[in-house]
Amino acid sequence: MLTDEQLVEASLNGKATAFDELVDRYQGRLLRFLLTRSATYADAEDAIQDTFINAYRYLASFDSRWRFSTWIYRIALRNLARQKRPEWSESDETLIGADDPLQNCIDSSERDNVWVTARRLLSEEAYSAMWLRYVEDLSVKDISRALDKTQSWTKVTLLRGRRRLSVELAGGESPAAQRESYG
Amino acid sequence: MDEFEKRLKQDADALEAKVSPQLRSRIDASLRGTERGQAAGPEKRSTSRLWWASSLTGLAATIAVVVLVNMNRPDPAPVDTPVAEMPSVPDSPLDFPLIPPELDIQSAEFASPLEEELLNLQADIEKARNSVREDIDFTF
Repeated sequence: MLTDEQLVEASLNGKATAFDELVDRYQGRLLRFLLTRSATYADAEDAIQDTFINAYRYLASFDSRWRFSTWIYRIALRNLARQKRPEWSESDETLIGADDPLQNCIDSSERDNVWVTARRLLSEEAYSAMWLRYVEDLSVKDISRALDKTQSWTKVTLLRGRRRLSVELAGGESPAAQRESYG
Repeated sequence: MDEFEKRLKQDADALEAKVSPQLRSRIDASLRGTERGQAAGPEKRSTSRLWWASSLTGLAATIAVVVLVNMNRPDPAPVDTPVAEMPSVPDSPLDFPLIPPELDIQSAEFASPLEEELLNLQADIEKARNSVREDIDFTF
């Protein structure tokens, strides 16, 4: 089985099916991530389409020292940033409604999904950092590259995000966690 | 992986996000209509290399011109500096005219407490400063 980076090289060498294989590998993962970040399902679909188009268009500029997953998540985050969407805030419940794509992709028995809580509590960048670390298993270095942040920022953000979520899931919120700011 | 990390992973896996055939068709159609950029990376690197080469060439040319100008420049002719005529130093200290300068000395008499005197002095300084400033403005 070829690695992502080998598929990139094959695609650049003219093998048409190589990029299709990359789309197969990442479409589900990216859509799941984008659904938790977009205001509507249509926005998430637009974002994933734009992500693959940009990746294909600029594949020649892919730096093989990076992991492909880091690179494509970086593109996806940029596409998300271009979308006009309401600001996140703890008190804003408009996103957590009937049309919310995140709620729609959660089974009714899973309504206490931790990522819903994460989206309510954390900033967009902190949420992305948590997702890339704990779902995609990216290293701190790769997350820093994907988010265009320093490694120190990433470490601190992960630590604070984890602490804040843990406190919330444990049933309370400590004053220290409330004071912490993100992003 | 601790319990918290397991839960994050499990809850992410619990999110139902399947790419519909329609979305996949859209993506495939978009990719077919997309032209790939021609090796943006190497082109950027070659441009960067060209910039460095031109910069280094310019720097070398500048250094060469400076060296040539300095090598061909004739040495400046020595200029005779006239020695100022100094008055002769008297041999004996008794030859100095002992004329004491007249000093206008006034003893300070503090009629008020020191703090008040300080305030008065500061006010005088401020007046003097304003006066000088007005003179400067008038002159220029």
